[in-house]
Amino acid sequence: MIGNFFASIGAFVLGLIEAFFAGLSIAGRTFRGVFHPRGRARGEVLAQMYQIGNRSLLFVTVTLGALGMVLVFQVCLQINKITGDQSQVGPEFIRGMVHAFVPILTAMMLATRVGAGIAAELGSMTVTEQVDALRMTGVDPVDYLIVPRFLASIIMTLVLGIYATVIVVVAGALMAHTAFDVNYAVFFVFEKVTWGDLGVGLTKLAVHGGAIPIVSGYCGLSTTGGSEGVGTATTRAVINSSLTVIILDFVISAIGLMTVQAGV
Amino acid sequence: MIRCDGLGLTLSHRPVLNDLSWELAPGSVWGIIGPPASGKSVLAKTLCGLFTPQQGTLHVDGVEMTRLPEPERVTVRRKMGMLFQNNALFDFLRVWENVAFPLARQDPSLSREALAARAGERLRAVGLAGSEEKWPSELSGGMKKRVGIARATICNAPVLIYDEPTAGLDPVTTSKIYDLLTDLRTRHASTVIAISSDIPALRRFVDHILFLHQGQVRYRGPEAGLEACEDPVVYQFVRGLGEGPL
Repeated sequence: MIGNFFASIGAFVLGLIEAFFAGLSIAGRTFRGVFHPRGRARGEVLAQMYQIGNRSLLFVTVTLGALGMVLVFQVCLQINKITGDQSQVGPEFIRGMVHAFVPILTAMMLATRVGAGIAAELGSMTVTEQVDALRMTGVDPVDYLIVPRFLASIIMTLVLGIYATVIVVVAGALMAHTAFDVNYAVFFVFEKVTWGDLGVGLTKLAVHGGAIPIVSGYCGLSTTGGSEGVGTATTRAVINSSLTVIILDFVISAIGLMTVQAGV
Repeated sequence: MIRCDGLGLTLSHRPVLNDLSWELAPGSVWGIIGPPASGKSVLAKTLCGLFTPQQGTLHVDGVEMTRLPEPERVTVRRKMGMLFQNNALFDFLRVWENVAFPLARQDPSLSREALAARAGERLRAVGLAGSEEKWPSELSGGMKKRVGIARATICNAPVLIYDEPTAGLDPVTTSKIYDLLTDLRTRHASTVIAISSDIPALRRFVDHILFLHQGQVRYRGPEAGLEACEDPVVYQFVRGLGEGPL
Protein backbone atom coordinates (compact mmCIF):
# COMPACT_ATOMS: atom_id res chain seq x y z
CA MET A 1 0.00 0.00 0.00
CA ILE A 2 2.67 2.49 1.11
CA GLY A 3 4.97 1.16 -1.60
CA ASN A 4 2.30 1.85 -4.22
CA PHE A 5 1.77 5.37 -2.87
CA PHE A 6 5.48 6.24 -3.18
CA ALA A 7 5.66 4.51 -6.56
CA SER A 8 2.82 6.67 -7.89
CA ILE A 9 4.47 9.83 -6.52
CA GLY A 10 7.74 8.77 -8.12
CA ALA A 11 6.00 8.08 -11.44
CA PHE A 12 4.29 11.50 -11.27
CA VAL A 13 7.58 13.32 -10.57
CA LEU A 14 9.38 11.39 -13.31
CA GLY A 15 6.53 12.24 -15.69
CA LEU A 16 6.86 15.94 -14.83
CA ILE A 17 10.63 15.87 -15.37
CA GLU A 18 10.19 14.00 -18.65
CA ALA A 19 7.54 16.49 -19.83
CA PHE A 20 9.75 19.44 -18.82
CA PHE A 21 12.71 18.18 -20.85
CA ALA A 22 10.48 17.19 -23.79
CA GLY A 23 9.01 20.73 -23.72
CA LEU A 24 12.53 22.19 -23.63
CA SER A 25 13.48 20.03 -26.59
CA ILE A 26 10.44 21.33 -28.56
CA ALA A 27 11.41 24.90 -27.62
CA GLY A 28 14.99 24.31 -28.82
CA ARG A 29 13.80 22.78 -32.10
CA THR A 30 11.38 25.69 -32.54
CA PHE A 31 14.15 28.30 -32.12
CA ARG A 32 16.36 26.34 -34.51
CA GLY A 33 13.47 26.12 -36.99
CA VAL A 34 13.03 29.91 -36.96
CA PHE A 35 16.58 30.44 -38.16
CA HIS A 36 16.88 27.32 -40.34
CA PRO A 37 13.51 26.91 -42.04
CA ARG A 38 13.13 23.55 -43.81
CA GLY A 39 10.09 22.74 -45.91
CA ARG A 40 7.71 25.17 -44.23
CA ALA A 41 4.47 25.74 -46.15
CA ARG A 42 4.36 29.04 -48.03
CA GLY A 43 2.03 31.61 -46.49
CA GLU A 44 1.51 29.54 -43.36
CA VAL A 45 2.73 32.29 -41.00
CA LEU A 46 0.23 34.74 -42.53
CA ALA A 47 -2.58 32.18 -42.29
CA GLN A 48 -1.74 31.60 -38.62
CA MET A 49 -1.55 35.34 -37.98
CA TYR A 50 -5.12 35.59 -39.28
CA GLN A 51 -6.23 32.68 -37.08
CA ILE A 52 -4.52 34.00 -33.96
CA GLY A 53 -5.01 37.74 -34.44
CA ASN A 54 -8.15 38.47 -36.38
CA ARG A 55 -10.16 35.71 -34.77
CA SER A 56 -9.22 36.98 -31.27
CA LEU A 57 -10.12 40.62 -31.92
CA LEU A 58 -13.72 40.53 -30.65
CA PHE A 59 -12.76 38.39 -27.64
CA VAL A 60 -9.99 40.82 -26.61
CA THR A 61 -12.12 43.92 -27.28
CA VAL A 62 -15.07 42.77 -25.19
CA THR A 63 -13.06 41.29 -22.31
CA LEU A 64 -10.48 44.02 -21.92
CA GLY A 65 -12.99 46.80 -22.62
CA ALA A 66 -15.23 45.52 -19.81
CA LEU A 67 -12.26 45.00 -17.53
CA GLY A 68 -10.98 48.55 -18.11
CA MET A 69 -14.38 49.97 -17.24
CA VAL A 70 -14.76 47.87 -14.08
CA LEU A 71 -11.23 48.63 -12.86
CA VAL A 72 -11.57 52.40 -13.36
CA PHE A 73 -15.03 52.40 -11.81
CA GLN A 74 -13.81 50.63 -8.66
CA VAL A 75 -10.68 52.80 -8.35
CA CYS A 76 -12.65 56.04 -8.78
CA LEU A 77 -15.26 54.83 -6.30
CA GLN A 78 -12.62 54.14 -3.63
CA ILE A 79 -10.79 57.43 -4.28
CA ASN A 80 -14.06 59.33 -3.99
CA LYS A 81 -14.48 57.89 -0.49
CA ILE A 82 -10.99 59.03 0.59
CA THR A 83 -9.73 62.19 -1.12
CA GLY A 84 -11.98 62.74 -4.12
CA ASP A 85 -8.96 63.72 -6.26
CA GLN A 86 -9.29 61.74 -9.50
CA SER A 87 -6.38 63.43 -11.29
CA GLN A 88 -3.95 60.52 -10.81
CA VAL A 89 -6.37 57.76 -11.84
CA GLY A 90 -5.70 58.06 -15.58
CA PRO A 91 -1.87 58.28 -15.51
CA GLU A 92 -1.47 55.43 -12.98
CA PHE A 93 -4.08 53.31 -14.72
CA ILE A 94 -2.34 53.74 -18.08
CA ARG A 95 1.08 52.90 -16.61
CA GLY A 96 -0.24 49.81 -14.84
CA MET A 97 -1.94 48.62 -17.98
CA VAL A 98 1.15 49.11 -20.17
CA HIS A 99 3.70 47.22 -18.09
CA ALA A 100 1.61 44.79 -16.06
CA PHE A 101 -2.05 44.13 -16.77
CA VAL A 102 -2.43 44.18 -20.54
CA PRO A 103 0.46 41.77 -21.29
CA ILE A 104 -0.69 39.11 -18.83
CA LEU A 105 -4.40 39.51 -19.56
CA THR A 106 -3.93 39.41 -23.32
CA ALA A 107 -1.66 36.39 -23.00
CA MET A 108 -4.05 34.57 -20.68
CA MET A 109 -6.87 35.11 -23.15
CA LEU A 110 -4.74 33.87 -26.01
CA ALA A 111 -3.63 30.91 -23.89
CA THR A 112 -7.25 29.83 -23.62
CA ARG A 113 -8.37 30.58 -27.18
CA VAL A 114 -5.21 30.04 -29.22
CA GLY A 115 -3.57 27.45 -26.94
CA ALA A 116 -6.68 25.28 -26.96
CA GLY A 117 -6.96 25.61 -30.72
CA ILE A 118 -3.34 24.65 -31.36
CA ALA A 119 -3.49 21.65 -29.01
CA ALA A 120 -6.79 20.43 -30.48
CA GLU A 121 -5.54 20.77 -34.08
CA LEU A 122 -2.15 19.15 -33.48
CA GLY A 123 -3.67 16.55 -31.15
CA SER A 124 -6.19 15.45 -33.76
CA MET A 125 -3.40 15.38 -36.38
CA THR A 126 -1.38 13.15 -34.04
CA VAL A 127 -4.15 10.64 -33.35
CA THR A 128 -5.14 10.46 -37.05
CA GLU A 129 -1.48 9.69 -37.95
CA GLN A 130 -1.04 12.92 -39.95
CA VAL A 131 2.02 13.75 -37.84
CA ASP A 132 3.47 10.30 -38.66
CA ALA A 133 2.71 10.96 -42.33
CA LEU A 134 4.66 14.24 -42.08
CA ARG A 135 7.63 12.45 -40.50
CA MET A 136 7.39 9.76 -43.15
CA THR A 137 8.02 12.37 -45.84
CA GLY A 138 10.99 13.80 -43.95
CA VAL A 139 9.19 16.81 -42.51
CA ASP A 140 9.90 17.74 -38.90
CA PRO A 141 6.45 18.31 -37.30
CA VAL A 142 7.94 20.98 -35.02
CA ASP A 143 9.36 22.84 -37.99
CA TYR A 144 6.22 22.48 -40.08
CA LEU A 145 3.50 22.92 -37.46
CA ILE A 146 4.87 24.77 -34.45
CA VAL A 147 7.35 27.26 -35.96
CA PRO A 148 4.75 29.13 -38.10
CA ARG A 149 2.40 29.32 -35.10
CA PHE A 150 5.29 30.49 -32.91
CA LEU A 151 6.19 33.35 -35.27
CA ALA A 152 2.56 34.28 -35.89
CA SER A 153 1.76 34.21 -32.19
CA ILE A 154 4.67 36.51 -31.26
CA ILE A 155 3.68 39.06 -33.90
CA MET A 156 -0.05 38.93 -33.18
CA THR A 157 0.33 38.96 -29.39
CA LEU A 158 2.34 42.17 -29.77
CA VAL A 159 -0.27 43.67 -32.12
CA LEU A 160 -3.20 42.52 -29.97
CA GLY A 161 -1.44 43.78 -26.83
CA ILE A 162 -1.04 47.25 -28.31
CA TYR A 163 -4.64 47.17 -29.55
CA ALA A 164 -5.84 45.92 -26.14
CA THR A 165 -4.01 48.78 -24.40
CA VAL A 166 -5.87 51.29 -26.56
CA ILE A 167 -9.20 49.56 -25.87
CA VAL A 168 -8.70 49.25 -22.12
CA VAL A 169 -7.51 52.86 -21.75
CA VAL A 170 -10.33 54.28 -23.90
CA ALA A 171 -12.90 52.15 -22.06
CA GLY A 172 -11.46 53.31 -18.71
CA ALA A 173 -11.53 56.95 -19.82
CA LEU A 174 -15.15 56.63 -20.96
CA MET A 175 -16.12 55.17 -17.57
CA ALA A 176 -14.19 57.82 -15.62
CA HIS A 177 -15.78 60.58 -17.69
CA THR A 178 -19.38 59.34 -17.68
CA ALA A 179 -19.59 58.03 -14.10
CA PHE A 180 -17.21 60.40 -12.26
CA ASP A 181 -16.99 63.40 -14.59
CA VAL A 182 -13.20 63.06 -15.01
CA ASN A 183 -11.98 65.26 -17.84
CA TYR A 184 -10.42 63.38 -20.77
CA ALA A 185 -7.42 65.73 -20.73
CA VAL A 186 -6.80 64.75 -17.10
CA PHE A 187 -7.21 61.03 -17.76
CA PHE A 188 -5.08 60.79 -20.93
CA VAL A 189 -1.74 61.71 -19.38
CA PHE A 190 1.06 59.46 -20.55
CA GLU A 191 3.95 61.09 -18.68
CA LYS A 192 4.08 58.34 -16.05
CA VAL A 193 4.77 55.68 -18.66
CA THR A 194 8.56 55.32 -18.92
CA TRP A 195 10.57 53.67 -21.68
CA GLY A 196 11.30 50.94 -19.14
CA ASP A 197 7.56 50.29 -18.66
CA LEU A 198 7.10 50.15 -22.39
CA GLY A 199 10.06 47.79 -22.81
CA VAL A 200 8.85 45.46 -20.06
CA GLY A 201 5.31 45.42 -21.48
CA LEU A 202 6.46 44.65 -25.02
CA THR A 203 8.96 42.02 -23.80
CA LYS A 204 6.22 40.28 -21.84
CA LEU A 205 3.91 40.28 -24.86
CA ALA A 206 6.59 38.81 -27.13
CA VAL A 207 7.71 36.16 -24.63
CA HIS A 208 4.17 35.12 -23.70
CA GLY A 209 3.22 35.06 -27.37
CA GLY A 210 6.12 32.70 -28.08
CA ALA A 211 5.50 30.46 -25.06
CA ILE A 212 1.84 29.68 -25.82
CA PRO A 213 2.37 27.79 -29.12
CA ILE A 214 5.40 25.94 -27.75
CA VAL A 215 3.54 24.66 -24.67
CA SER A 216 0.28 23.99 -26.54
CA GLY A 217 2.14 22.47 -29.47
CA TYR A 218 3.96 20.09 -27.14
CA CYS A 219 0.61 19.09 -25.55
CA GLY A 220 -0.85 18.49 -29.03
CA LEU A 221 2.08 16.47 -30.35
CA SER A 222 2.21 14.29 -27.22
CA THR A 223 -1.48 13.35 -27.53
CA THR A 224 -2.26 9.66 -27.18
CA GLY A 225 -5.50 7.74 -27.69
CA GLY A 226 -8.48 8.99 -29.65
CA SER A 227 -10.86 11.91 -29.21
CA GLU A 228 -10.61 11.59 -25.42
CA GLY A 229 -6.85 12.12 -25.74
CA VAL A 230 -7.43 15.26 -27.81
CA GLY A 231 -9.75 16.61 -25.10
CA THR A 232 -7.16 15.91 -22.41
CA ALA A 233 -4.42 17.53 -24.51
CA THR A 234 -6.56 20.64 -24.99
CA THR A 235 -7.20 20.97 -21.25
CA ARG A 236 -3.50 20.41 -20.52
CA ALA A 237 -2.58 23.04 -23.09
CA VAL A 238 -4.82 25.71 -21.53
CA ILE A 239 -3.63 24.98 -17.97
CA ASN A 240 0.07 24.64 -18.84
CA SER A 241 0.09 27.68 -21.15
CA SER A 242 -1.62 29.82 -18.49
CA LEU A 243 0.80 28.62 -15.79
CA THR A 244 3.78 29.26 -18.08
CA VAL A 245 2.51 32.78 -18.83
CA ILE A 246 2.12 33.50 -15.10
CA ILE A 247 5.61 32.22 -14.27
CA LEU A 248 7.24 34.08 -17.18
CA ASP A 249 5.34 37.25 -16.29
CA PHE A 250 6.63 37.01 -12.72
CA VAL A 251 10.21 36.51 -13.90
CA ILE A 252 10.13 39.38 -16.43
CA SER A 253 8.46 41.70 -13.90
CA ALA A 254 11.17 40.91 -11.35
CA ILE A 255 13.97 41.48 -13.88
CA GLY A 256 12.27 44.68 -15.06
CA LEU A 257 11.91 46.03 -11.52
CA MET A 258 15.59 45.33 -10.84
CA THR A 259 16.78 46.89 -14.09
CA VAL A 260 14.90 49.23 -16.43
CA GLN A 261 12.14 50.08 -13.93
CA ALA A 262 14.43 50.41 -10.88
CA GLY A 263 13.64 53.48 -8.80
CA VAL A 264 10.54 54.43 -10.81
CA MET B 1 16.03 -5.43 -48.40
CA ILE B 2 14.76 -5.36 -44.79
CA ARG B 3 16.12 -7.45 -41.92
CA CYS B 4 15.07 -7.36 -38.26
CA ASP B 5 16.99 -9.28 -35.60
CA GLY B 6 15.53 -9.67 -32.11
CA LEU B 7 13.47 -6.46 -32.26
CA GLY B 8 11.95 -5.48 -28.94
CA LEU B 9 9.78 -2.42 -28.36
CA THR B 10 8.00 -1.24 -25.22
CA LEU B 11 5.45 1.59 -25.40
CA SER B 12 3.92 3.14 -22.25
CA HIS B 13 5.49 0.39 -20.09
CA ARG B 14 3.82 -2.31 -22.25
CA PRO B 15 5.86 -4.65 -24.43
CA VAL B 16 4.53 -4.37 -27.99
CA LEU B 17 7.19 -6.20 -30.02
CA ASN B 18 9.08 -9.09 -28.50
CA ASP B 19 12.26 -10.64 -29.92
CA LEU B 20 11.02 -10.27 -33.49
CA SER B 21 13.25 -11.51 -36.31
CA TRP B 22 12.23 -11.27 -39.94
CA GLU B 23 13.86 -10.92 -43.33
CA LEU B 24 12.25 -9.58 -46.51
CA ALA B 25 13.84 -10.21 -49.87
CA PRO B 26 13.60 -7.48 -52.54
CA GLY B 27 10.39 -7.78 -54.56
CA SER B 28 8.67 -10.08 -52.05
CA VAL B 29 5.07 -9.45 -50.99
CA TRP B 30 4.28 -10.04 -47.33
CA GLY B 31 1.04 -9.91 -45.43
CA ILE B 32 1.01 -9.24 -41.69
CA ILE B 33 -1.96 -10.72 -39.89
CA GLY B 34 -2.92 -11.33 -36.29
CA PRO B 35 -5.55 -10.55 -33.66
CA PRO B 36 -6.23 -6.90 -32.73
CA ALA B 37 -3.49 -5.16 -30.69
CA SER B 38 -0.90 -7.75 -31.64
CA GLY B 39 1.61 -5.09 -32.79
CA LYS B 40 1.02 -5.15 -36.57
CA SER B 41 0.81 -1.37 -37.14
CA VAL B 42 3.57 -0.73 -34.61
CA LEU B 43 5.81 -3.16 -36.50
CA ALA B 44 5.06 -1.34 -39.78
CA LYS B 45 5.92 2.03 -38.21
CA THR B 46 9.04 0.57 -36.61
CA LEU B 47 10.24 -0.59 -40.02
CA CYS B 48 9.90 3.04 -41.20
CA GLY B 49 11.81 4.34 -38.19
CA LEU B 50 8.77 6.08 -36.72
CA PHE B 51 9.31 4.08 -33.51
CA THR B 52 12.72 3.27 -32.08
CA PRO B 53 13.02 -0.27 -30.71
CA GLN B 54 14.83 -0.70 -27.40
CA GLN B 55 16.28 -4.07 -28.39
CA GLY B 56 17.56 -5.65 -31.57
CA THR B 57 18.66 -4.31 -34.93
CA LEU B 58 16.82 -3.24 -38.08
CA HIS B 59 18.60 -3.04 -41.41
CA VAL B 60 16.93 -1.37 -44.38
CA ASP B 61 18.90 -1.69 -47.60
CA GLY B 62 22.02 -2.39 -45.54
CA VAL B 63 21.61 0.64 -43.22
CA GLU B 64 21.13 -0.02 -39.50
CA MET B 65 18.15 2.17 -38.57
CA THR B 66 17.76 1.78 -34.82
CA ARG B 67 20.69 3.99 -33.80
CA LEU B 68 20.32 6.53 -36.61
CA PRO B 69 19.37 10.06 -35.55
CA GLU B 70 16.05 11.38 -36.93
CA PRO B 71 17.50 13.56 -39.75
CA GLU B 72 19.45 10.59 -41.14
CA ARG B 73 16.44 8.28 -40.96
CA VAL B 74 14.76 10.54 -43.50
CA THR B 75 17.17 9.30 -46.17
CA VAL B 76 16.14 5.70 -45.45
CA ARG B 77 12.43 6.61 -45.29
CA ARG B 78 12.66 7.99 -48.83
CA LYS B 79 12.96 4.37 -49.92
CA MET B 80 9.53 3.69 -48.43
CA GLY B 81 5.95 4.69 -49.06
CA MET B 82 3.24 4.09 -46.51
CA LEU B 83 -0.54 4.02 -46.50
CA PHE B 84 -1.59 4.66 -42.90
CA GLN B 85 -4.42 2.85 -41.16
CA ASN B 86 -6.43 6.10 -40.83
CA ASN B 87 -5.30 7.25 -44.30
CA ALA B 88 -3.61 10.24 -42.58
CA LEU B 89 -4.58 12.66 -45.34
CA PHE B 90 -3.65 16.23 -44.43
CA ASP B 91 -7.01 17.91 -43.98
CA PHE B 92 -5.52 21.37 -44.62
CA LEU B 93 -4.40 20.39 -48.14
CA ARG B 94 -6.41 19.63 -51.27
CA VAL B 95 -6.37 16.11 -52.70
CA TRP B 96 -3.68 16.80 -55.31
CA GLU B 97 -1.52 18.62 -52.75
CA ASN B 98 -1.79 15.60 -50.45
CA VAL B 99 -0.65 13.29 -53.23
CA ALA B 100 2.18 15.59 -54.31
CA PHE B 101 3.40 16.23 -50.74
CA PRO B 102 6.11 13.49 -50.56
CA LEU B 103 7.28 14.33 -54.08
CA ALA B 104 7.65 18.02 -53.23
CA ARG B 105 9.83 17.07 -50.24
CA GLN B 106 11.89 14.61 -52.24
CA ASP B 107 12.52 16.99 -55.14
CA PRO B 108 12.14 20.64 -54.08
CA SER B 109 13.15 21.83 -57.57
CA LEU B 110 9.82 20.64 -59.05
CA SER B 111 7.47 23.51 -59.89
CA ARG B 112 3.89 23.64 -58.60
CA GLU B 113 2.67 22.89 -62.13
CA ALA B 114 4.93 19.84 -62.42
CA LEU B 115 3.79 18.58 -59.02
CA ALA B 116 0.13 19.06 -59.99
CA ALA B 117 0.71 17.17 -63.24
CA ARG B 118 2.41 14.23 -61.48
CA ALA B 119 -0.30 14.14 -58.79
CA GLY B 120 -2.99 14.25 -61.49
CA GLU B 121 -1.37 11.29 -63.27
CA ARG B 122 -1.25 9.28 -60.05
CA LEU B 123 -4.86 10.15 -59.22
CA ARG B 124 -5.93 8.96 -62.68
CA ALA B 125 -4.06 5.71 -62.04
CA VAL B 126 -6.08 5.09 -58.87
CA GLY B 127 -9.34 6.02 -60.61
CA LEU B 128 -9.80 9.44 -59.06
CA ALA B 129 -9.46 11.74 -62.04
CA GLY B 130 -11.36 14.98 -61.41
CA SER B 131 -10.93 14.87 -57.64
CA GLU B 132 -7.76 16.97 -57.62
CA GLU B 133 -9.28 20.12 -56.17
CA LYS B 134 -11.44 18.41 -53.56
CA TRP B 135 -10.71 18.50 -49.83
CA PRO B 136 -10.20 15.18 -47.98
CA SER B 137 -13.40 15.83 -45.99
CA GLU B 138 -15.38 15.69 -49.27
CA LEU B 139 -14.23 12.13 -50.05
CA SER B 140 -15.81 8.77 -49.19
CA GLY B 141 -13.86 6.09 -47.27
CA GLY B 142 -12.86 4.24 -50.43
CA MET B 143 -11.75 7.46 -52.15
CA LYS B 144 -9.63 8.40 -49.14
CA LYS B 145 -7.91 5.00 -49.31
CA ARG B 146 -7.18 5.56 -52.99
CA VAL B 147 -5.74 9.01 -52.30
CA GLY B 148 -3.63 7.45 -49.54
CA ILE B 149 -2.39 4.81 -51.97
CA ALA B 150 -1.64 7.48 -54.59
CA ARG B 151 0.40 9.41 -52.02
CA ALA B 152 2.23 6.29 -50.81
CA THR B 153 3.21 5.30 -54.34
CA ILE B 154 3.92 8.65 -56.04
CA CYS B 155 7.67 8.50 -55.39
CA ASN B 156 7.91 4.93 -56.75
CA ALA B 157 9.61 3.87 -53.51
CA PRO B 158 11.16 0.37 -53.53
CA VAL B 159 9.32 -0.56 -50.31
CA LEU B 160 5.56 -0.04 -49.95
CA ILE B 161 3.67 -0.56 -46.71
CA TYR B 162 -0.13 -0.66 -46.72
CA ASP B 163 -1.74 -0.62 -43.28
CA GLU B 164 -5.33 -1.85 -43.58
CA PRO B 165 -5.83 -0.85 -47.24
CA THR B 166 -9.42 -2.12 -47.28
CA ALA B 167 -10.65 -1.57 -43.71
CA GLY B 168 -14.29 -0.56 -43.64
CA LEU B 169 -14.78 -0.96 -47.39
CA ASP B 170 -17.43 -3.02 -49.19
CA PRO B 171 -16.37 -6.22 -51.05
CA VAL B 172 -16.49 -4.57 -54.49
CA THR B 173 -14.28 -1.64 -53.44
CA THR B 174 -12.00 -4.07 -51.59
CA SER B 175 -11.57 -6.10 -54.77
CA LYS B 176 -10.86 -2.92 -56.79
CA ILE B 177 -8.28 -1.75 -54.24
CA TYR B 178 -6.44 -5.09 -54.35
CA ASP B 179 -6.52 -5.02 -58.17
CA LEU B 180 -4.95 -1.58 -57.98
CA LEU B 181 -2.28 -2.73 -55.50
CA THR B 182 -1.49 -5.76 -57.68
CA ASP B 183 -1.17 -3.50 -60.73
CA LEU B 184 1.17 -1.10 -58.89
CA ARG B 185 3.23 -4.02 -57.56
CA THR B 186 3.60 -5.54 -61.02
CA ARG B 187 4.61 -2.23 -62.60
CA HIS B 188 7.19 -1.15 -60.03
CA ALA B 189 8.41 -4.52 -58.68
CA SER B 190 8.40 -3.09 -55.15
CA THR B 191 8.79 -4.98 -51.90
CA VAL B 192 5.31 -4.86 -50.38
CA ILE B 193 4.06 -5.29 -46.83
CA ALA B 194 0.29 -5.31 -46.34
CA ILE B 195 -1.56 -5.45 -43.03
CA SER B 196 -5.20 -6.46 -43.14
CA SER B 197 -7.96 -8.04 -41.10
CA ASP B 198 -9.61 -9.21 -44.31
CA ILE B 199 -7.61 -12.44 -44.40
CA PRO B 200 -9.07 -14.10 -47.55
CA ALA B 201 -8.55 -10.96 -49.69
CA LEU B 202 -5.07 -10.42 -48.27
CA ARG B 203 -4.03 -14.02 -48.89
CA ARG B 204 -4.92 -13.68 -52.56
CA PHE B 205 -2.58 -10.66 -52.80
CA VAL B 206 0.53 -11.80 -50.89
CA ASP B 207 3.19 -14.50 -51.29
CA HIS B 208 4.25 -14.70 -47.65
CA ILE B 209 2.58 -14.30 -44.28
CA LEU B 210 3.87 -13.07 -40.94
CA PHE B 211 1.51 -13.92 -38.10
CA LEU B 212 1.87 -11.78 -34.97
CA HIS B 213 0.37 -12.42 -31.57
CA GLN B 214 1.23 -10.26 -28.54
CA GLY B 215 4.25 -8.89 -30.40
CA GLN B 216 5.67 -12.32 -31.13
CA VAL B 217 5.95 -14.13 -34.45
CA ARG B 218 3.74 -17.24 -34.50
CA TYR B 219 4.10 -17.99 -38.20
CA ARG B 220 6.51 -16.72 -40.83
CA GLY B 221 6.54 -18.31 -44.25
CA PRO B 222 4.77 -18.90 -47.54
CA GLU B 223 1.10 -18.01 -47.70
CA ALA B 224 0.29 -21.54 -48.85
CA GLY B 225 1.83 -23.01 -45.70
CA LEU B 226 -0.44 -21.09 -43.30
CA GLU B 227 -3.14 -23.80 -43.32
CA ALA B 228 -0.62 -26.41 -42.24
CA CYS B 229 0.63 -24.35 -39.27
CA GLU B 230 -0.08 -26.21 -36.04
CA ASP B 231 0.32 -23.27 -33.67
CA PRO B 232 -3.05 -23.21 -31.82
CA VAL B 233 -3.36 -19.41 -32.07
CA VAL B 234 -2.74 -19.42 -35.84
CA TYR B 235 -5.00 -22.45 -36.27
CA GLN B 236 -7.92 -20.79 -34.48
CA PHE B 237 -7.43 -17.36 -36.10
CA VAL B 238 -7.08 -18.58 -39.68
CA ARG B 239 -10.15 -20.80 -39.43
CA GLY B 240 -12.16 -18.24 -37.48
CA LEU B 241 -13.00 -20.71 -34.71
CA GLY B 242 -14.84 -19.57 -31.61
CA GLU B 243 -13.01 -21.93 -29.29
CA GLY B 244 -9.27 -21.85 -28.68
CA PRO B 245 -6.58 -19.84 -26.95
CA LEU B 246 -7.71 -16.47 -28.41
